[in-house]
Amino acid sequence: MLRRNKRNEPAQALLAAAETGGVLAEEGEAFAGRGRTLRADAMRRLRKNKLAMAGLVWIIIIILIAITADLWAPQTLGDPTYIDTNKVAELSLQPPSADHPFGTDKLGRDIASRVVYGARVSLLVGVVAVLIMVVIGLFMGAVAAYYGGIWDSLIMRTADVFFAFPYILFAVALIAVLGKGFQNVFIAIGILGWPSIARVFRSSILSIKKNEYVDAARAMGASTLRILSRHIMPNAISPIIVYATMSIGGAILTEAALSFLGMGVQPPDPSWGLMLSEARAYIFTAPWLMVYPGLAILTTVLGFVLLGDGLRDALDVKLKE
Amino acid sequence: MHFFTRDGVVKAVDGVSFTLEAGHTLGVVGESGSGKSVTALSIMRLVPEPPGKVVQGDIRFKGESILAMPEKDQRALRGNRIAMIFQDPMTSLNPVHRIGKQIAEPLRIHKNMSKDDAWAAAVELLRQVGIPQAAERARQYPHEFSGGMRQRAMIAMALACGPDILIADEPTTALDVTIQAQILELMQEIQQRTESAIIMITHDLGIVADMADHILVMYAGKAVEFGTADDVFYRPLHPYTLGLLESLPRHDVDEKGALCPIKGLPPSLIHLPRGCAFHPRCEFAQSVCRSSVPPLAEISPGHFSSCHFASDSAFVERLASRACYVSSAPSGGGR
Repeated sequence: MLRRNKRNEPAQALLAAAETGGVLAEEGEAFAGRGRTLRADAMRRLRKNKLAMAGLVWIIIIILIAITADLWAPQTLGDPTYIDTNKVAELSLQPPSADHPFGTDKLGRDIASRVVYGARVSLLVGVVAVLIMVVIGLFMGAVAAYYGGIWDSLIMRTADVFFAFPYILFAVALIAVLGKGFQNVFIAIGILGWPSIARVFRSSILSIKKNEYVDAARAMGASTLRILSRHIMPNAISPIIVYATMSIGGAILTEAALSFLGMGVQPPDPSWGLMLSEARAYIFTAPWLMVYPGLAILTTVLGFVLLGDGLRDALDVKLKE
Repeated sequence: MHFFTRDGVVKAVDGVSFTLEAGHTLGVVGESGSGKSVTALSIMRLVPEPPGKVVQGDIRFKGESILAMPEKDQRALRGNRIAMIFQDPMTSLNPVHRIGKQIAEPLRIHKNMSKDDAWAAAVELLRQVGIPQAAERARQYPHEFSGGMRQRAMIAMALACGPDILIADEPTTALDVTIQAQILELMQEIQQRTESAIIMITHDLGIVADMADHILVMYAGKAVEFGTADDVFYRPLHPYTLGLLESLPRHDVDEKGALCPIKGLPPSLIHLPRGCAFHPRCEFAQSVCRSSVPPLAEISPGHFSSCHFASDSAFVERLASRACYVSSAPSGGGR
């Protein structure tokens, strides 16, 4: 889009080149692309990717639903946690209907409302847990790659120890130590996730560190912190963005798994994993109990993975057309 | 500067010393792997430690030892008083920042300029290094610049703080010939204007012939000859220097005449030959060359050489007349 209103520039450039004696004439064509930042380029490529855009749109819809839930869900669908003790028998396990589009659960609560509120939990866990792991991971990866030597060994061997344990088992063990509950799910996922980020970041720093512009920045008198933040970070961040986006999907799955096992969100609060757990007993008699939260997990995770995949293609300079 | 590697100690730069006066240009020449770049990187303290380590000697700037300075003071010199231009302009600019921002960066670091002031100064610098429409160009990214323009931008970046010493590590190797000439001209012009000293590192004798006041010839990490440009070019006192001069293609000889390269390869710096490091490739080598290392000695005022026979006038005479092209004329063949 930026290019369109700058059409007349090659001509200007040629004119300018002619004025300077034609020495730089060959560079006239470079002007056509002025103002095309790498970021704008990536956005343009991302917009062309239909699957990624579908993922992005779906994520935005879910985010909007989660944010605005308080404004409409309790009124139209019913309270997600309130149990009307007088009418439990009457409301229990109703199939989907106009009143309850996704049906009701054993205690007569509206499934649709619980799925909507479950989105809050899932997104919050996804974003906060990934934020925790990205912050720890970036710091560890940067220290390991930039200082090397003993720091590198120390950090990367610690990361290896994390990889050595089965993921869910480790998460369950951590929760057992930290205590059940919502906040501890963030912490557990964050602590378990940083080694992957650190590895990805470390290896991309190591390849970027060899570039002459890093030497040039040191020759310029830039401090280590400045080199890392201004010169290495912007070049190393693409794989992290991709990995973090996909990790949000992973974190949502982990939260669902932990809640399913009873280690995460505690009843009566709604969470997709917890709802699946509660629906186990009714797979055959009331399948809607399981289908809707299951679909919610599936589509949300898929949305993040598709977006991450699209971002990888968009941010990869080598795939540039 | 030695490198401690698993296979042994690499004496990348060994016993090289020189002084540089303001406004003068020193040319450092030698083959690949002779320690030219490591010399420059050592001055900038850009050699990673470990494995690198300055084992002996000192680097002084205006009488003050750079090696003894705390890292913070070193940083204050780098890019400010001593600046460096790198070999490959394609890789030495950061692809994610605008050209203007990169040129402004040393000003922001060392001169505490505001963003706007530094940007304006960067545009002015771009104009000074001959980039047309500097204001618009500054807003572009490196991939929108050609090789020659990028090297101009690199020069602008190095010049930003008005350095006393400009180290140019093969600044023209990655450029084509017409651009090379422009860049060299630009550097000379800047030197005249700013009175800064230049260390020009190159393997191209044509470049130093044009620019340098003094020339340092390096081989296998050691200085083998040092003197004024005239001395080194017209009265070479070391067979290696002669070999370098002879291996230049010349336009004034018969095109059928063969080129005269120095035969063989530079030695591995881990397993240096005994005696003079150059003796396996030297056609004048005697038994003394194989057994003892010749020291760098002042042969005539200001002209140093590390050849056992440099003070032997008959030998120097032979060196001068042994020039490949000269001898090829009557006998009709190369070496």
